[in-house]
Amino acid sequence: MNLLAFAARRLAGAVVLLVLLSAAVFAATAVLPGDAVSAVAGVDASAAQRAEVRAGLGLDRPAVQRYADWAAGAVRGDLGRGFVGERPVADVLATRLPNSLLLAALTLAVTAPLATLLGLWTGLRGGVADRVVSTSAQILAAVPEFVVAALLVAVLAVWLEVLPRVSVIPLGGTPLDVPDALVLPVLTLSAVGLAVATRLLRASVADTAATPYCEAARLNGVRGVRLAVRHILPNAAGPAVQALTLTTGALVGSAVVVENVFDYPGIGRELQLAVAARDVPMVQGIATALVAVMLAVLVLGDVCARLLGAREGHGR
Amino acid sequence: MSRQIDRRAFLRRGAAGAAALAVGPGLLAACSTDEPGSAGNPGPGSSPRSGGTLRAAFVGGGASETLDFFNGPSALDLVRARAWHGTLGNLDPSGPDGVRYGVLEGIDIADDLSAYTLRVRPGVRFTDGSRLTSADILHSLSALAARSKLPVYRLAAANFDLARAKADGDLKVVLPTLRPIADGRLILCQGNFLVVKDGTKDFRESMPSCGPFRLTGFTAGQGSAFERYDDHYGHVPHLDGLELRSIADSTARAGALTGGAVDFAHDLSPVTARTLADDAKVELAPTKSPYLVGLSFQLNMSAEPFDDPRVREAFKLAVDREAMVNTVFYGNAEIGNDLPSLGFPDYADGIPQRAHDPERARALLKAAGADGVKVQLTTGPETPGMVEMATLFVEDLKKIGVRASVRELPPGQLYADFPAYSALPVAGSYQMPVPALSTYQMNTAGGSPSAFGWKKPETDALVAEARAERDPERARELGTRAQRTRWDEGNQVVPVFKPNLNARAKGVDGISDDLFEQFPGFSRASLA
Repeated sequence: MNLLAFAARRLAGAVVLLVLLSAAVFAATAVLPGDAVSAVAGVDASAAQRAEVRAGLGLDRPAVQRYADWAAGAVRGDLGRGFVGERPVADVLATRLPNSLLLAALTLAVTAPLATLLGLWTGLRGGVADRVVSTSAQILAAVPEFVVAALLVAVLAVWLEVLPRVSVIPLGGTPLDVPDALVLPVLTLSAVGLAVATRLLRASVADTAATPYCEAARLNGVRGVRLAVRHILPNAAGPAVQALTLTTGALVGSAVVVENVFDYPGIGRELQLAVAARDVPMVQGIATALVAVMLAVLVLGDVCARLLGAREGHGR
Repeated sequence: MSRQIDRRAFLRRGAAGAAALAVGPGLLAACSTDEPGSAGNPGPGSSPRSGGTLRAAFVGGGASETLDFFNGPSALDLVRARAWHGTLGNLDPSGPDGVRYGVLEGIDIADDLSAYTLRVRPGVRFTDGSRLTSADILHSLSALAARSKLPVYRLAAANFDLARAKADGDLKVVLPTLRPIADGRLILCQGNFLVVKDGTKDFRESMPSCGPFRLTGFTAGQGSAFERYDDHYGHVPHLDGLELRSIADSTARAGALTGGAVDFAHDLSPVTARTLADDAKVELAPTKSPYLVGLSFQLNMSAEPFDDPRVREAFKLAVDREAMVNTVFYGNAEIGNDLPSLGFPDYADGIPQRAHDPERARALLKAAGADGVKVQLTTGPETPGMVEMATLFVEDLKKIGVRASVRELPPGQLYADFPAYSALPVAGSYQMPVPALSTYQMNTAGGSPSAFGWKKPETDALVAEARAERDPERARELGTRAQRTRWDEGNQVVPVFKPNLNARAKGVDGISDDLFEQFPGFSRASLA
């Protein structure tokens, strides 16, 4: 099967998955106790006032009908307005999603080369270095993001005072206007991502190094950097890309935590606020957009992995 | 101090100096006018420095923040609006009517309490040069506030017939009351009734208004920027500019303050505030009475064992209030007396402080046959300190023989399912600072769901009578009687009132001079 057909099939699968997941998100918001009425009407509203607000928000209609209306709008590109503050959901996505994507892109730019180097090193060398790096990576991967963030803040912002503690972006500006405010969030996300990616890559490199093909290359006198670059890396690249893809997925979860700790104006922080306020259209729009981004990354990862595999003649 | 902070402080001072030179003469002229009846001097022997841009951080609402403050639920939405628009007035216990008027000259009350007449201060101008008239006030109140879903505006809609409000000439607005009340000034002048131009429907950055500052930029979830409005009625702000930032996390707000990114941080958690105590660059500025949040436990009278007044009293006597103030708030809070609205003029401060008496509590429980009763207290981290308070309360209850436990809900859950909340046997909750009798009439009278089973028509009638009484002495007596009933038989334990723990950089002044402390105003603020 050629690559285009493969990509098309994966894309179609992703679209089906997107529809199913958007329904799942809606079902989850419907099952959550309570609704947006308390956020909108206030805690001390009377029963009549609450009923009025509920009807005004359309929450008195059956959930299936509400989802159908939302889906019909979404297909036309209209994600509706949030219950709280009544901002168009698309506006919020347009202003916040790029900030989060910037964070993810920077994290990937730090993680990918470093993880590749560490993965190669530990996977090929073995021994003490491998055990030290692998164990450290395992420990780091197990530490919650907010702990990593707190440690980095304590050292770099409070003790050494070289970086700001909070990402205060100039009004009307973007995070790029204050590059030093990006460092701590990116470092935190990278630390966690690096740990996971290094371990996945190490395994892939070790597997490749053990193949008869590499054994043959070694017997022919190919060693060191040349062996790594010419023989191991191209063969480990396919699984490695998939490993990085998975890391990107995990990034979304970490970003929610990190954006809150540093008050970074990303989509993860918005999602957290929207869930707390039971703002269904906002939760639905943001979650669906995040799912779409993750599915796109997964499809892209699959296609890249296949492309890399095919070039070396190992396509399945 | 780091080099970074030095550089920031230097840049700010430099910019402020240049700006002050540029607007010199205008500034001097502006400083000579001041609001009548308000001294506005920040301290003995010092005059506030003019100029500079103050940056303040608040809990915002993220991307759902809106310029339409009638529908914006976050504290920041209201603070932003108060910097931008004129206000009817603020509470001021030292004022002749208990209030300090803003765009109004005064409020007259009809003899039969059937209507309030708002007299507009002549010569108030919007930033486009037009005069503020009764039409603007009428529009702001009846077209905008009356339709608001927010509780702050409902308090007025619950007392005045905003649909029948009408203008009487250019400078008078007549507001009919829904039932006779004498305390309506306290409701209209809480600092949240703001005035925009007649016909305003969409709130835009560029729209003219009449507050102390002119809005120059707004990014939802990040913040807004202002410059001083030189023709502001009454008095012109000392600051050249103001920046209000949205920073949701308490630690992050404190970090922005100590890192020099902002000059003022609003509403920190008790623990965060404590970490600032040792920082020489900042100082704590907690709100003062009556702007304290009451932390309360609601006992549900519609079910056992709280249908028995002896059990309710036992629960009130069991609380070690002083321990709560010291342990949870490090001493930075006031002891409550099981009544909300501490510090408001209509609060019954003549009632003796309830004692901590576990012995008597145990005896009362035994007498009621509720010895060893099992109760679960449900609460959530909706306001800092609430969960810690509930934990201590449960320990106190165990000491009098109640098998008590805490159920802590995740953030955002406690009030999300309101019917479930109001059916809880015991709920840990909080009370915003609002006058005592009006809040009773709105939230507790008539068996309202938030009353947790309290249904006493005699007390409702007493409150209504007190609010309809023009003679202050008599009103006070009636109001105290009603609150005494709540104190004796009521189902609310209010052990602690906590301030909003605000903090500011050293030398920043005049923020707390604005009497509406809960949502700070910056019209009299100055930088070091």
